[in-house]
Amino acid sequence: MTETYTLAEATMKVIQDRRSIRSFTDEPVSEEAIRMILEAARQAPSGENAQPWRFIVVRDAETRKALGAIGGGGSGRRFTAEFVTKKMQERFAGLQDEEKKKAAFEKLTSGNVSAFLADAPVDIVVCGRKNVWDLPYDTSAAIENMLLMVTGLGLGACWVIAPCIDVRDEERLHKLLNVPDDIKIVSIIAIGHPTRPHRPRPRLPLHELVYNEVWGTPYYKEEA
Amino acid sequence: MTRENLPSDYANSVIYEIQKAFWDERGNGARFRLTTVGREYFSDKCLAQIHGESVGEIVQGIGKALAEEGIAAGMSYEEEDRIVRLKIPGCLHQSVERRFLAAGAEPLMCVPANLVVLAVEAVLKRPAEIAEIKVGDDGCEVTLVLFEPRPGL
Repeated sequence: MTETYTLAEATMKVIQDRRSIRSFTDEPVSEEAIRMILEAARQAPSGENAQPWRFIVVRDAETRKALGAIGGGGSGRRFTAEFVTKKMQERFAGLQDEEKKKAAFEKLTSGNVSAFLADAPVDIVVCGRKNVWDLPYDTSAAIENMLLMVTGLGLGACWVIAPCIDVRDEERLHKLLNVPDDIKIVSIIAIGHPTRPHRPRPRLPLHELVYNEVWGTPYYKEEA
Repeated sequence: MTRENLPSDYANSVIYEIQKAFWDERGNGARFRLTTVGREYFSDKCLAQIHGESVGEIVQGIGKALAEEGIAAGMSYEEEDRIVRLKIPGCLHQSVERRFLAAGAEPLMCVPANLVVLAVEAVLKRPAEIAEIKVGDDGCEVTLVLFEPRPGL
């Protein structure tokens, strides 16, 4: 039976159905889908309509392997540093299941949390021109559009910032992908067909997020 | 303008404000945009002082360069597996770290520690990460983690 939605309902459904997918089947992503995703990015808003975004579509296995190594290396370094200073243990103090906690520590400190870029059928590297004022905001809007279109197409994706956070890793990306210095590499979007459905991650309630007129006074009452 | 007539409190206040601007923009992520600060100084002044391929020889070389330039009183270290704890007394820049702590934020950067990380990467060909910067009365203690090279890189 076909479900029908108003435009607002359909928009909210796509937003709510989006997941961060890190495990993909071997099924390739069609050129038609890639084009739809990039077209969605192209329609994003940007300051002064500067449209600073540029994209590199990476399907080559060796290049994806290198992206995974750079992303995994960066995540592994940062999370291991967090672990050895016990800050990670503090962050996960609320998790009672010791096995789950151990698995989370292993996944994070190994860098595997970001290394899956190697296994996605396609990675889209999102770049931005530096000669504009609003590069991070403009490109982020484009990325969210991409993620929503991925969801609408029944595909899965994950917005991966790990290979771009540290200057040292971003320099490795520049060299690997031959990106000039006046272009910033912002993020990499791993895209493919999900291996399984994923449950939604918890979200903070609106009454904790929204203030009335000035900071501090809740806009919404806490729901019972 | 020469270095001799550049007051350190002026230099440190500018360094603090630049770092603070990074922090205001990127929050805790700002520290990862500062990991290569000192690279030019490392190439010009430090690399030639490193006469071996061990952590000890790296720390000794960087410490000597910093002491000769009057940037820090020296540098020592303790090593346990992949953890290296640097002790840096008398650093010219410590007031920058203190201002971050006074503002309720963790220090974003330690140039002497950056120099050691740059040396570990250049000489030992091993990735390294600054895990923690502690500011004390006797100097700073900086914890580094050294890694094995990752396959595929």
